[in-house]
Amino acid sequence: MCNANFQSRITSHLVTLFRTMRQSLLAVFLVVACLPWHGVAQNPDGTLLDFTDAEVRAVLRHGPWPIPWSRDPSNRVSGQPDAIALGERLFFEPRLSADGTVSCATCHVPERSFTDGLRVGRGRQEVDRHTPTILNVRLNRWFGWDGAGDSLWAQSIRPMLDTRELAASEAHIGRLIRSDRDLACRYGRAFGVPPAANDDTIMVDAAKALAAFQETLVTGRTPFDDFRDALKRGDRGAASRYPEDAQRGLRIFVGKGRCSVCHFGPNFSNGEFEEIGIPHYLKAGGIDWGRAQGIKAVLANRFSLLRAYNDDPARASAVSSRHVELNLRNYGEFRIPSLRNVALTAPYMHNGHYATLSEVVRHYSEIDPLRLHLGPEIYDSDGVAIDLQLPTILKPLNLTEREIADVVAFLETLTDSDSRRPRRAPEAAACR
Amino acid sequence: MQAKGSAVLVAILAIPPATAQTCADFAGAAKVDSERYVLAYRTKPDKIAVGQHFSMDLAVCPKESQNTPESVRVDAYMPEHRHGMNYRATVKPADGGRYLAEGFMFHMPGRWEFIFEVRGGGKTDRVTRSVTLE
Repeated sequence: MCNANFQSRITSHLVTLFRTMRQSLLAVFLVVACLPWHGVAQNPDGTLLDFTDAEVRAVLRHGPWPIPWSRDPSNRVSGQPDAIALGERLFFEPRLSADGTVSCATCHVPERSFTDGLRVGRGRQEVDRHTPTILNVRLNRWFGWDGAGDSLWAQSIRPMLDTRELAASEAHIGRLIRSDRDLACRYGRAFGVPPAANDDTIMVDAAKALAAFQETLVTGRTPFDDFRDALKRGDRGAASRYPEDAQRGLRIFVGKGRCSVCHFGPNFSNGEFEEIGIPHYLKAGGIDWGRAQGIKAVLANRFSLLRAYNDDPARASAVSSRHVELNLRNYGEFRIPSLRNVALTAPYMHNGHYATLSEVVRHYSEIDPLRLHLGPEIYDSDGVAIDLQLPTILKPLNLTEREIADVVAFLETLTDSDSRRPRRAPEAAACR
Repeated sequence: MQAKGSAVLVAILAIPPATAQTCADFAGAAKVDSERYVLAYRTKPDKIAVGQHFSMDLAVCPKESQNTPESVRVDAYMPEHRHGMNYRATVKPADGGRYLAEGFMFHMPGRWEFIFEVRGGGKTDRVTRSVTLE
């Protein structure tokens, strides 16, 4: 049940071992390590819950996985190997920061599923929000917790210029890439021309190379995907190996929990925003208005898809930006994250409010609808609050302790164990 | 700016007004009646997917002796959730007396309602049509 690449790699290892080392015991160990479900507890009794047709349809909507590659039309070097190589180098390059101490990998740590394990991120200074994983980031429509970026490359500019993160400038980035022989060489290979004199152009191109690299950061198959595909082909034997507690948790997820309304589709996110009652006061004072700030920012951003740096002449890639509008309900909304590898990306929520998945599920179980909706209260002339007819998606689920544990067990089956071992740094070979 | 405004005005005037036949001839379209108009529409793509942008071809055909529409607006709403879309659809005149509405996205599964508003002769007709996404 390992994914094809992993299986192929293991097979190759086994052949080598049998031919050259003949260490049978070690070979047996590797075979055991490659058994189905990647370390998630199996279901020895082979029980398959009596999922209804509607539940099966709901489960099938969370696949197939992986999603086929498609290039980003707004980025002319999307998918180009030379741009990916440049982007990888820049991702781990601390000289991109003003004082040479911070790189993208400072917060997006490969061994931590490209997060940092901290409640809120810390570049040169602490920021206000939790560092989201960038695994599968290519599937986002909006980027950042508030969606202030409408493309992966535009989003990659933001931390470079933020004074709390890399604190760089257009001039600093332009100077670095023009003056460093290896980076200049890679830039030339990726873009077909030497680094330009214009700093804005170089910075945007650097961001597009960074985006090309980040597009390659994807998670592989998980125990859930194997279960989902077994259901799809009617293979009860394979499906029944999926842990029973995870099956119960999945039933809640697509059923009474209504989690899949927002955590929709193969990537377990509909790519939009929701307000879920997480405290929104900032440590330094003030309020994090989330999506409302993001909409204002994207519409004012000179690097948005509506502006000149979009490489898509038809501007079809800008449809979301062209039609997005600010509504009252956007205040306090944050992006609905993918749940793939969620067990590896604690703490949770936009500000790292919860340390464990159990706490997150308990939040939805006990949610207080009165804590939702941050819009200003409106009263009539008698001082009576007017019902603003705001959304009513979230209601307390009142889950039992076992049900909470079951949902967590399901979420843990969304883990691709291979992604715990990403490459730590680019290869050393210099560009000539 | 004045030249641009004039160009838009010419474009609107150049479009022949829809007749009842326009809606009758609209292949594959869903039809919905308001008090004074027949609306025929077809989404592109035909099957709406959760979280994917789509557009709509629309014809607004005045019933007998009714005014030609002066403006057309299309929106969508999720009654059970009490929220609309996160995007504002725009409606532009297109060929053959039709309109092209762009920018829709239904970001959640469940029942949505298209809301059509047609203004003409100093009054507004409002009509809804449900669509359910799995």
